[in-house]
Amino acid sequence: MKTTKLLAVASAVGLAVTLTACGGGSSSSASEESLTVTMWGGAAQKAHVDSYFLPWAESKGVTIKQDSPTDYAKIKAQVEAGQVTWGPTEVEPNFANTACEAGLLEKLPQDILDKAKETGVAEDQIGPCAIPILQYSFTIAYNSDTFPDAHPTTWAEFFDTEKFPGKRGFWKYATGGMFEAALLADGVAPDQLYPLDIDRAFKKLDTIKKDIVFFDTGDQMTQMLASGEAPLVQAWSGRIFQAQQAGEKIANEWNDNLVSYDQIVVPKGYPNTELAFEWMRWFLDNLEAQAADAEASIYGPASDKALEFVPEEIRKELPGYEANAESSAGLVDYGYWAENYDSVTERLNTWIAQ
Amino acid sequence: MTSAPADSSTGRLRGRPLSLRLSLWARFDGWGALVLPLLVVLVLVFGLPLAVMLSRSLTDPSFGLQNYSDVFANSVYLRVLGNTFLIATIVTAVTLALAYPYAYLMTLVGPVWRMIMMGLVLVPFWTSILVRSFALVLFLRDTGAFNSALQSLGVIDEPIPLIRTLPGVVFGMVQVALPFAVLPIFATMQGIDRRLLQAAESLGDRPAGAFWRVFVPLSVPGVAAAVLLTFVQALGYYITPALLGGPKNTMIGELIVQQVSTVLRFGFAAALATLLLVTTLLLLVVAGRFVDLQKHLMRQS
Repeated sequence: MKTTKLLAVASAVGLAVTLTACGGGSSSSASEESLTVTMWGGAAQKAHVDSYFLPWAESKGVTIKQDSPTDYAKIKAQVEAGQVTWGPTEVEPNFANTACEAGLLEKLPQDILDKAKETGVAEDQIGPCAIPILQYSFTIAYNSDTFPDAHPTTWAEFFDTEKFPGKRGFWKYATGGMFEAALLADGVAPDQLYPLDIDRAFKKLDTIKKDIVFFDTGDQMTQMLASGEAPLVQAWSGRIFQAQQAGEKIANEWNDNLVSYDQIVVPKGYPNTELAFEWMRWFLDNLEAQAADAEASIYGPASDKALEFVPEEIRKELPGYEANAESSAGLVDYGYWAENYDSVTERLNTWIAQ
Repeated sequence: MTSAPADSSTGRLRGRPLSLRLSLWARFDGWGALVLPLLVVLVLVFGLPLAVMLSRSLTDPSFGLQNYSDVFANSVYLRVLGNTFLIATIVTAVTLALAYPYAYLMTLVGPVWRMIMMGLVLVPFWTSILVRSFALVLFLRDTGAFNSALQSLGVIDEPIPLIRTLPGVVFGMVQVALPFAVLPIFATMQGIDRRLLQAAESLGDRPAGAFWRVFVPLSVPGVAAAVLLTFVQALGYYITPALLGGPKNTMIGELIVQQVSTVLRFGFAAALATLLLVTTLLLLVVAGRFVDLQKHLMRQS
């Protein structure tokens, strides 16, 4: 009896010690020679890592570790706890903006910011803590079975449920482009979009509210479009083209496309920050690597100069392509969104639940 | 974390009329030490985070009740909270209505059928919720298997809207919750002595009367466990309603996730979570006034 009791207590204490050790140890496990890359995951992340992280890492003898998906709460928690394990991290520009101001991200050295401009990255896509890594567009995606002859070519037509009946898919996300689309549909000139007139946008959205279907993920988006559940979707251009290549009867209408982009940042206090900066310089200089990624992931390269290395049939499905750039309704202004994301999100929640 | 203080206190506590927790404490002899690992784990993974959450809801971004007054300032949060309890109640009722007869049937059939029925409950239980929810999307959507089958049979002309509706959410959540209701009800029913029913009948009750007056009351502990498990679980769902529900079926879990991982208002998210927790506890207290939860849950036949 005594022995058993002792054993039980001992094992309990042992467990407690182990647990404590787990909590306290392994603080700076990132070695000198490794870089932990965090992106949104899936096939896109594989394409990005294969095209512009691994070639650099091999030439440098650096090990690339990966995590996914990006989670802003985790970035904040890592920085607050002083245990940053994520290196280069793919984020949305409005987050890069607010987090940079809040001191959650490493400021980029001036030479990287200069290099970005020199290598053809659009200046309005560069932030003090972030450079873009890819571009895409919010397009009018349509089901070509439902609309074989004529489909909406402007946001005004996208909102016209009499001329083009059927449900409309929108990303359930304040920065997902629906407010911009609503205002463009309501006659606001593209260069007058920002600051967004959110009241007017909601009024326009009200007119088709019963026909709106929301999606949360890219898979849901292509699924609802391809199945015809929502034959029109405000879509992420690349995902539509990939599904189209895989044989789905869907396509992008590039007129009125809204250009958007993702940025790469380094959370504040990442032990291998210098190494991450070194990669950034390499990435900006290597237009071929950006082009290889564009071909593999159908996301436009950070620099439009890289487009010339992309095959024609892919290039015309990217935002920087000349015809697409000409017919574009402009770039999403994430400076506006950095300031208004929280309040518009709250209004969107309220509007949705009504 | 030593057992010495516990041992010394048992002497004083033993032999008095005590509440449940204290009587557990009183039984804390050497063997009771086996519960220590569990206690450590509970404190570390449950107690501590809960305390952090409570304190953050009051201190992040600044000390005070600001987060709570923000919750009440916008009606959407209370509406979604109310919606959450409504959906959880409907799901619990539907689950119980399906699970009770199912479990009863399981006690009546032979061992082979019982195994098959058990398998039918458990196989989905072992499949990822995500996979099942996505499968339900394929099945329920306007152009999905259910609607196209009915349409090709000529039963309906227009697809019945099932996905992104309340029935769609309830359907999806019930199939997730079913094992958690069937298993405890079945376990309790199996322990019921059938001779009691025979006794009731031999004393002149009709079979239906014996069932309602003897069998059903004896199965209440299982039912109480099932209701509690289903209801509390349903309150926290967010994957299923996010996939199968429409915008109007948003549950509080979705808003909490949004506040944590996209808006980064940890304190506000903590306030929402605390409100959910407090409301749930209040409901349990109210329920406890009508049903002796402790008796039913702790003294399972």
